[in-house]
Amino acid sequence: MAEKNYYTIDPQGKLQCMKCGVPLVKGKAKFMYLDNGFPVELPVCPVCGFVYVPEALALGKVASVERALEDK
Amino acid sequence: MAQIQERGSTHVYKVRKISKEEMEQMVARCVYEHPPFCSAACPLKLDVRAFLDAAAAGNFKKALQLYEKIAPFPLVLAMGCEAPCEKACRLNELGDGVAIRAVEEAVSRFGQISKLGGVFRTKKRKTVALFGSGLFALFLAGEIEKKAYPLTVFCAEPDLESFLHSETGFLDEAAFTAELKRLKGKDIQFEFGCALTKDFLEEKRAAFDVACCSAEVFARLYPEAVCDPALMFCESLKLVTGTSAGVLDASFGAKKAALTVDRLAQNLDPNNMRGNEGAVESRLYTDLSEATKLTRVPMEGAGYTEAEAAAEAGRCIRCHCEECLKSCAYLKHYKKHPGLLSKEIYNNTQIIMGDHPLNKPMNSCSLCGQCTVVCPNGFDMARVCHEARQNMVSTDKMPLAPHEFALLDMLFSNNEAFLSRPQPGFETCKYVFFPGCQATAIAPETVKAAYLDLCTRLEGGVALMLGCCGAICDWAGRYEMQEQTNEFLDRELAKLGDPIVIAGCPSCKKELAGHEGLKLVGIWDLLLELGLPEGGHGLERPAAMHDSCGARGDAETQKAIREIAKRLGCELTDTPYSGDRSPCCGYGGLAAYANREVAAEMTEKCLERSDAPYISYCMACRDRFARQGRESRHILELVYGTDAGDPPDISEKRYNRLSLKNELLRELWLEEPREMKLDYELRYTDEARRMMDERMILTDDVIAVLDGVRADGECIQDEDGLLVARRRVGNATFWVKFSREGDGSYLVHRAWSHRMKVVKREG
Repeated sequence: MAEKNYYTIDPQGKLQCMKCGVPLVKGKAKFMYLDNGFPVELPVCPVCGFVYVPEALALGKVASVERALEDK
Repeated sequence: MAQIQERGSTHVYKVRKISKEEMEQMVARCVYEHPPFCSAACPLKLDVRAFLDAAAAGNFKKALQLYEKIAPFPLVLAMGCEAPCEKACRLNELGDGVAIRAVEEAVSRFGQISKLGGVFRTKKRKTVALFGSGLFALFLAGEIEKKAYPLTVFCAEPDLESFLHSETGFLDEAAFTAELKRLKGKDIQFEFGCALTKDFLEEKRAAFDVACCSAEVFARLYPEAVCDPALMFCESLKLVTGTSAGVLDASFGAKKAALTVDRLAQNLDPNNMRGNEGAVESRLYTDLSEATKLTRVPMEGAGYTEAEAAAEAGRCIRCHCEECLKSCAYLKHYKKHPGLLSKEIYNNTQIIMGDHPLNKPMNSCSLCGQCTVVCPNGFDMARVCHEARQNMVSTDKMPLAPHEFALLDMLFSNNEAFLSRPQPGFETCKYVFFPGCQATAIAPETVKAAYLDLCTRLEGGVALMLGCCGAICDWAGRYEMQEQTNEFLDRELAKLGDPIVIAGCPSCKKELAGHEGLKLVGIWDLLLELGLPEGGHGLERPAAMHDSCGARGDAETQKAIREIAKRLGCELTDTPYSGDRSPCCGYGGLAAYANREVAAEMTEKCLERSDAPYISYCMACRDRFARQGRESRHILELVYGTDAGDPPDISEKRYNRLSLKNELLRELWLEEPREMKLDYELRYTDEARRMMDERMILTDDVIAVLDGVRADGECIQDEDGLLVARRRVGNATFWVKFSREGDGSYLVHRAWSHRMKVVKREG
């Protein structure tokens, strides 16, 4: 499946992983729901792999895709 | 913490069918699509409602267009029609029926003739010949021309005037002139002065694909032949013909004959695909209570003027049945009558792969049963939606998301917050008080007061059971979970000696009535029997009584509550839609979880009935009205002189249940409950509290996130300098944005969640 560009959030070094003490970088992640998977790019900690889902994304695109899948 | 299994995949092929026949029977109960009685009586099927609507608005052009659909020569029909529609008008029962024929005549006289002539239309290739004259021939010529078949009329008359004049002697001069102009405008070939003999007919018809003749020609030339009156067709002669018993009969005959011509021209069997021809029976329900104009508008002259016709058309009450849509916010929201919505919901359950667009509507019904009471035919939308939910659950197509919060809440009520104890000093009890999950969440003090009162005044011991009756999983269509809940409650009741259950909530009472052999009584009945305790008082202002949908059809309960209110000194004001016709507050059927917007409209519908404070006897109703800012009290609050105050948020509801359980365990059963205490201080901004209530995020979810971050240190710092952590709890991931304050406490600023799982992807 093609990567969804609209998921892309560039952390630009403003987000910091508190456990590893390094900035989050644009990294590869995957959303999974009801047996469906979506490759996306999100802010990720390069050391521990913490993937950040910002509030606006969770309540926006993620919520609408969830609803669409729930009605499948 | 309790969890519910999310459905595994969207790629499930199972399907369990609910009986199509049963669904069709249910759909047939809805008469919304039945025609009004006037249209049903008209064999030509004039849309009288729309016609009179246009005429009443003074739009005679549109009215005439509607009339021309059934009448190629409007004035001939309007002036000669026997008007069965007028006899069928429901206003006859109260006064004068609408003078539909006179309005038709005025519309035909004054309406602007549509300019769409036949000359420039593309003609069909098959040709038609028509022999004879008279009303049937005239109407048939008009109908065939409308269907764009090249038509030649062979008549004995010497000219067009004479042809039109045949059998239309009732037209006055102006009408005759108008209809002659209309006839001239039609693309019809005429051969005048024909000797209509058998030889002539046989010779001429050979050049045409279809032949038709008037009743007079048919009877004269073929006295032995028989015409099928349903088709207006003589099979042996392959001749389309008709009758002229009157204007309406001729017009209806011509309509049927034209359809036969159409079928024959396409080499089709004229019997097939004819639809429902002629007058039909209608079972439409009409509310006549608001009809006011009961006397016919008088005529100044021989016929109506434009203004008179418009006024007379305005008397029509537009017969239609919207009893359910008037009273139900859910049906009104979806702007669909229950017959149609049921069909769509049924189809939704039959979809194996792909979108289920009716999931949300199906889950938005409060299952309250009001429609069944207000519908003249008892349409049961609740059953349709409830069975559809069960069906979706059985095929693993039901999304968990809309109901998960409520289901988890139920599991919480029947696990952490569950309490079942005999009255201190008793092994088994004669009674058990079952206040219901909403009462313990919203008004714990009232529940405690009621229990202590019952223990004091009833003999044989009163046990207490704090938990959920199972209505939540029943409403969600989770029938397996409901069976488990029933078994669980039965086991707990058996331990108490199978006591008589004293229900504190009518919905619990209704739900528990499904248990075999269970003895049930409402607390309201016992209070009337025992007499009201000291300390209760009514409201100072007159109040409106809101009947719970759980007590629909339970006149005894409705009566008992009113009697209690009266004894407390309450003055009750009358509201429309009370008793069995009462609407749902928006909590029923889990509507508030599946569709907040519709649930809010339901609450609004309840509150628009009165400006007075509301007294209810279901705690969910009390809560939803109070949330809308209305003074709202449960009858038990008044009985025990307690005030539950402002409505609690979702976390406080859980806290209240747990606190009540622990308080009673300590005070009555002298048990020290195990209480989880946080070893750190946690505070919330007002915005975070509001946000959590709206997004259905519990303090327990926030604590799970913070416990996590305290254990593994996994969190990030965002651009504002605030910390953000997350934790997967059950089927959702919760995110909390917080700060660590100088005193070591945590301050929660924001919280959000999503159901999707997110992981780092390699490569």
